[in-house]
Amino acid sequence: MLSQFDYVKPLVLNEALAALAKEDNSYVLAGGTDLMIMLRHNAINARHIIDIKGIPELNELRFIENEGLTIGANVVVNALVDSELVKNKYKALHDAASCLASFQLRNRATLVGNICNASPGADLPPALLVYDAVVKIASVDGVREVPLVEFFTGVKKTVLTKNELVLSVFLPDPGDNDASCYLRQTRLKGHDLSTVGVACRLDGKGKVAVAIGAVAPTPLRLKALETAINEKGLSGETILWAADAINEHIKPISDVRSSEAYRRHMASVLLKRCLVTLTGKEV
Amino acid sequence: MTVAELKNDGKACAMDTAHISSARELRVVIDLVVNGERVIEEIEPNMLLLHFLRDRLKLFGAKEACGEGECGACTVLMNGYAVTSCLVLAVEANGAEILTVEGLSKGNELSILQQEFVFQDALQCGFCTPGMLMSARGLLDNNPNPTDEEIHEAMAGNLCRCTGYLQIFNAVKRAAEREREEREE
Repeated sequence: MLSQFDYVKPLVLNEALAALAKEDNSYVLAGGTDLMIMLRHNAINARHIIDIKGIPELNELRFIENEGLTIGANVVVNALVDSELVKNKYKALHDAASCLASFQLRNRATLVGNICNASPGADLPPALLVYDAVVKIASVDGVREVPLVEFFTGVKKTVLTKNELVLSVFLPDPGDNDASCYLRQTRLKGHDLSTVGVACRLDGKGKVAVAIGAVAPTPLRLKALETAINEKGLSGETILWAADAINEHIKPISDVRSSEAYRRHMASVLLKRCLVTLTGKEV
Repeated sequence: MTVAELKNDGKACAMDTAHISSARELRVVIDLVVNGERVIEEIEPNMLLLHFLRDRLKLFGAKEACGEGECGACTVLMNGYAVTSCLVLAVEANGAEILTVEGLSKGNELSILQQEFVFQDALQCGFCTPGMLMSARGLLDNNPNPTDEEIHEAMAGNLCRCTGYLQIFNAVKRAAEREREEREE
């Protein structure tokens, strides 16, 4: 039995924002796959639930050429898995979405919920980070945009204030000749958070982007490592160097899923695999 | 310039557009269809769909095991898509069509999918079976011609402690074939 709360399902955004601003202990419900578990464990004291699935503008899933892809707060993960466009343009995101939780959960879980939950081991953030994703946030005071790389502030913590709601995530159009992938290590095939998850992107100009999950309190975009890789040039030798150097940029811990040493080892292995996949180089 | 509107309308989440009320409510009336029959009930908003089905409607097929969406024993179809009913509030199912394992057979005649679970020995203790059947039903309704990999993926959220996975896979695969044959007749 869950603790008692009231429930409201607004049909317009302003009504949702007003409800969120009005009372403390208000929580936003979209897919609910994380929220229900927190309610069940009494990890949060929710008195008011605001269901945003009645707000049509949050259903937006739209790609505009030369601009980019907008993923609204109600877009479920399987909608991304089913999208040929996401598969062709944002391969790392498609890879990450395809391995998130289980099929039933992906029918319900939303991408925006996955970032708002801010688990260090979440699968989608690394893939979003290599595409320079921007988070669009609204409250009764207006709308602001925050780059995803600044969105996470700690384990299960984000820049969101109590009266704010994420409207959508925006990914710029990567253009042609862009390639990316996401690889993860888990304890078992299927339903598990990643032990380590690495996303890599090779853009049309040949520049590499690297992001990694489950090796620090937040998902990380490894800009310093990218710069070093790009300066050295993407040879087989550089890939081997980078696989070694990644360990200077991460701060993994030992926990139920893995030891620190294994996380470090797998970060190295997965980065190497990603870069070999994207470049076709032999190492 | 290409503007692509991508599909997000068929999924269980985005389909929940039926309106309840703008007022904060501690009791709500939900109006939904369960196994083809219309149900109107007053509930508290903190009631889970799983508990609504079991405790209120006395449909005991969906099981509560982990209660956290890990095991799939509570899987039902919501607007045609498999969801874990332990992670859905009953109030979210307002306006939805719910199908549980009780809705699969026609009277005493088992559906093809259920028959194949019997023929392939795809159950032992039976506790996971309703969830397995509903995940399989959701798959075959949306993808009548699944590849082996697609069957594995759709069933990966359902755990079986008696370790009958191979038989379960075979049952789903054979059911897909038989349903195809039946459609072609």
